[in-house]
Amino acid sequence: MSDLLEQSFVKQLRENQNIIHKICRLYTNNEDAHKDLFQEITIQLWKAFPKFRGEAKFSTWAYRVALNTAITLYRKSKRSVATTEYEASRHFINQDDYNYEEEEQIKLMYQAVYQLNDIEKALVYMYLEDKDYAEISLTLGISEVNARVKMNRIKGKLKKILNP
Amino acid sequence: MDELDKLKKAWNRDDGFTQVSEQEIYGMLHKKSSSIVKWILIVSILEILFWTALNFIGSSEDYVMGKGHEGLAFCIGLMEILPYVVTVFFIYLFYRNFRRISTTASVRQLMTDIIRTRKTVNYYVWCNLAMVLALVIIGFERAFVINPDAVVLNEKMQQDASVFVVIIVCIAVCSLVIVGVAWLFYKLIYGLMLRRLMANYKELEKMDL
Repeated sequence: MSDLLEQSFVKQLRENQNIIHKICRLYTNNEDAHKDLFQEITIQLWKAFPKFRGEAKFSTWAYRVALNTAITLYRKSKRSVATTEYEASRHFINQDDYNYEEEEQIKLMYQAVYQLNDIEKALVYMYLEDKDYAEISLTLGISEVNARVKMNRIKGKLKKILNP
Repeated sequence: MDELDKLKKAWNRDDGFTQVSEQEIYGMLHKKSSSIVKWILIVSILEILFWTALNFIGSSEDYVMGKGHEGLAFCIGLMEILPYVVTVFFIYLFYRNFRRISTTASVRQLMTDIIRTRKTVNYYVWCNLAMVLALVIIGFERAFVINPDAVVLNEKMQQDASVFVVIIVCIAVCSLVIVGVAWLFYKLIYGLMLRRLMANYKELEKMDL
């Protein structure tokens, strides 16, 4: 019985693993940290799996648990912002006068998102995944209005980081 | 178009993540091994701290150090250092096991590491028991041969064979009890952790990969 449960979990997780990878990409900035977070989320999902009764889609359930794991984890370890990388990126923008390749631009944006706090990253994730504000408010336990306000603030923050 | 919408375009076509296999996921679910191994490491460190603390309370009278008895003095000196050397060596081994188990990705490797850890723990327990026995023997040697207070007792022993026998039996029983208690202690602490480790191993085995 428990073996069947495990099998079905592992299978579904493997099929939906990009959800976790995407969250890891927002919350970490190197490969090792990415792997660590992936593993931590996997363990938390497995612990929560008995409570998952298939009312929602696996992917919906998984992203909520995964996001909450990431938030809790990064709240615990108040990480200092990597200021050196930030400086480097700013330097880069000035030098190339906005004519860098798209790849680089995306990379810089991920770096900017990385500088946001745990909740802001979660909001960014849900925004990128096209979740509506009702869903965002449900997942984070904040009001819809609050979610909208936060989202606008994040956009402002990112703009400031990217165009200093 | 604002920054996030630019990112969204890239976000949706981005699938370049290194894919994790089912085997690796199974491995992650059974990572609790690494936390058990971490505890083995912590307990062994606590143990060395405990013995060090105990050493400070110990007496340092001349006879305790075996003054005047060269062979015994050497043994006592050796037993002062040896336990530390041995324990530090094992702490290093435990640490290596811990590092290995927490970084391994494949289930096969995890199983090998669990078996290796079990072996290390067993060696550690046997080494410690041997050292306890050695300490007990030295202790009795100290108490009866060179302790100035034991002179009267020694004379009695030489006169009366039955006193001699009674004392030998007492020593044997005491040694057994002390070693037995030590054995129980290790069995309890490390045995518990090993059992959990092995339960985990059995689960891994069942997956039949």
